[in-house]
Amino acid sequence: MTIVLEIKNVSKKFGPVTVFSHVNLSVEKGQIVALVGENGAGKSTLLNILGGVYPAGTYEGSIWIEGEEKRFRGEKDSKRAGIEMIHQEISIHLDLSVAENIFLGNLSNRKGFVSWKQVYLDAQNYLDIVKLNVDPHETARNLSTSQHQLLSIAKALASHPKILLFDEPTSALTEADAANLLEIIKGLQKRQITCLYISHRLEEVIHLADRIIVLRDGMLISDKPKNEITINQVIRDMVGRALDEMYPKQQITVGDEVLRVEGITVAHPYIAGKNIVEDISFSVSAGEILGVSGLVGSGRTETMDAIFGCSKRKSGKIYIQGAEVHIVRPSDAMKAGIGLVTEDRKRSGIIPTMSLRENMTIADLQAVSRMGLIQKNQERQLSQTYYDKLQIRATGIEDNILHLSGGNQQKVVLSKWLLKDIKVLILDEPTRGVDVGAKVEIYNVITDLARRGLAIVMVSSELTELMGMCDRLLVFSRGKIRGDFPRQEATQEKVMSAATCVDDLM
Amino acid sequence: MVMSEKSANRVTNIFKAKEFGLFMILVVLSILIGIRNPIFFSFHNIIDIFRNTSYTLIIAVGMTFVLVAKGLDLSVGSMIAICGMVCALFLSWGYPIFFCILTGLLTGAAFGAINALCIVVFHIPSMIATLGCMYMARGLVLVVTKGAPVYPLPKEFVNLGTRTFFGVPFIVVLSFIICLVAHFVLNNTTYGRRIYAIGGNIETAKYAGINVAGTTASVYIISGVLAALSGIMTSARMGSGQPSVGDGTEMTVITAVIIGGTSLNGGVGTILGTALGALLTNVLSTGMNLVGISAYWQKFVTGLIIIVAVGIDQYQRRKVRS
Ligand SMILES: Nc1ncnc2c1ncn2[C@@H]1O[C@H](COP(=O)(O)OP(=O)(O)OP(=O)(O)O)[C@@H](O)[C@H]1O
Ligand SMILES: [Mg+2]
Repeated sequence: MTIVLEIKNVSKKFGPVTVFSHVNLSVEKGQIVALVGENGAGKSTLLNILGGVYPAGTYEGSIWIEGEEKRFRGEKDSKRAGIEMIHQEISIHLDLSVAENIFLGNLSNRKGFVSWKQVYLDAQNYLDIVKLNVDPHETARNLSTSQHQLLSIAKALASHPKILLFDEPTSALTEADAANLLEIIKGLQKRQITCLYISHRLEEVIHLADRIIVLRDGMLISDKPKNEITINQVIRDMVGRALDEMYPKQQITVGDEVLRVEGITVAHPYIAGKNIVEDISFSVSAGEILGVSGLVGSGRTETMDAIFGCSKRKSGKIYIQGAEVHIVRPSDAMKAGIGLVTEDRKRSGIIPTMSLRENMTIADLQAVSRMGLIQKNQERQLSQTYYDKLQIRATGIEDNILHLSGGNQQKVVLSKWLLKDIKVLILDEPTRGVDVGAKVEIYNVITDLARRGLAIVMVSSELTELMGMCDRLLVFSRGKIRGDFPRQEATQEKVMSAATCVDDLM
Repeated sequence: MVMSEKSANRVTNIFKAKEFGLFMILVVLSILIGIRNPIFFSFHNIIDIFRNTSYTLIIAVGMTFVLVAKGLDLSVGSMIAICGMVCALFLSWGYPIFFCILTGLLTGAAFGAINALCIVVFHIPSMIATLGCMYMARGLVLVVTKGAPVYPLPKEFVNLGTRTFFGVPFIVVLSFIICLVAHFVLNNTTYGRRIYAIGGNIETAKYAGINVAGTTASVYIISGVLAALSGIMTSARMGSGQPSVGDGTEMTVITAVIIGGTSLNGGVGTILGTALGALLTNVLSTGMNLVGISAYWQKFVTGLIIIVAVGIDQYQRRKVRS
């Protein structure tokens, strides 16, 4: 087998902080290599070095492609060497067509002119490879998240890469969509494309990769072929100890009803006369964890937004502890005691210009202020408490949030609501991009909140997580509730069939 | 132990802060100008620079609020004229000084509110809304005055423009106080924090329960009132209400604020930076006069400096990201 990529003795620092040191790795052609590790272990950083995001000179050591040392000055150099990177935060141009997205940057041109006919033909070719069934003329905005993910792979393939780098390609996808994506990555292997890929979904890693590499404490801790390793071993390597229990579910006696919604209907934002969410009713009680499952685009997020007052309801009533509350904007919802952790942290979770401290307290400035004056000491103390409690990895609460790894940003977003005194907490994908160890921390926090008598609504694309944590499971599909299962009755099959249920009337 | 560490930190932070670089540039530039023409360091000239800076700075403080909230206010130049004019008109009709100043300030607030209405309710981009307001306000001034200045103004009012405390002009004291208050508001109040949040990420701000519309509206009103104050003081200084006053001031102000490190992308900016930026632009234009650079080249240099300042800022921002 030929070695396509070699990483020799690579170390990377950000200022005085060492992310990892002396990483050695050599990858054979056509291999699928999984890179796992805790949040902030340096996985994205390593791929960014290969992708030319951090140019030569900002790290130590050397990169070799097909036996030749490469010193990338930028992403362009890396692309030229046959490396394509699909970033953690996908960048699709929403207002361009599918084909334009695929060929962005390398539009086939003749003397500066674009041959559109050829572009659309070629685009179809790449769409076929990734099994994406959309018209190349379609505007990217009309595609779902998983389709965006496939589109960005098609885009990468268009420049005939030797090596593909994936940074958490499945974290925004439901399990079904993720499985589909994994099949496609497997298919690329037959084309002799080498894949390096980061994921926090360990079942998926074991299933897909030929080799699993674990980064921890700034070192490459283990590097094993998949048939020599089990999930538990991977976890042990990642967190440095065995996790006794993934889901710290506790039997909490369910109290009185806290939140009840009746007949929530939301109009479709783009299609006139259609509803994206129709007649949703459910209730959650104190101490109860209600799971909400469904494919991306099933209306889960829109329902939660509507309850929180972030999008307009066409109809529907909301009751807190039996009394109707009128929610037209988020501050009404917060006053009624509802909190919402949004799904998309980059778009609506973080404030990129602010420090961790400021991000953490922004939803509850009252708690750290007196008569409109921010009590800086109090603010510092409070955010420090949650910084420690969630074991956020950064240089401190004054660090800029953009300096944090994806999973650690998620912890900051979560802590924003933990410091607030609320009755209902809606969590939309609370563990997206969070490592196993930290997931357990977050589950612990959620369990703790439930024990304190909060009603919890937990939206997630990971069915295993919902089945592990929830007392009851709602399944959304096409804007309606298609299933309502108590914990004992929720099985993978039942939920999946409800989630993919086809509307009788259609 | 902990305390000394903290204060040591604070000292190193001062050197790291962007404002420190600005301050050093200011010092070096002043020395260079002073060497070429020692008049620069005369008490009279220094007071003059501070006085001139103050008129810009008062407006620049409002502009900082607007830019931090990721907006833009192009109407401040015309606001100087119309508010100064309203105040002057009422004065010339014999109303009490206090009442006339209040009317001028309210005019500024009203125009700020119109800006806010267009931006928040009708979702017109701030650049367009305030551009419209800029022309409308200027037009109104010309309609009302038919292009002629309003004077004479009562002596007590004109005194406001020339009055000094121990040699320090009233306007300098006023702008200093305004800076202190604004700095405090941005740094220590929940209101200030909300402005930064909105500029940083409006979606996150919305989901955090912040009243985005109200807060956004308020910064335009603040900007309007401060422009009005500067306009009223300008009338007092000139002893008349001039219809053409403040033409192009919006650009001087925006230049000062941006040089001071406030980002056009929102969420970033300090009053200290703005103050240094305003001072720097004024030192530069005075200096260019004293050194004998022609007015034509002065415009060129000002433009060059804007591009360089923003270029450096963007470069640093990219470095932070990677
Ligand atoms: N621009 C930066 N400046 C300073 N520190 C940084 C910067 N980018 C990343 N870091 C730090 O480097 C470490 C590694 O970050 P990286 O993004 O590679 O983590 P990761 O393994 O991808 O984690 P995750 O699973 O959460 O995505 C983190 O501790 C992070 O805080
Ligand atoms: Mg990462």
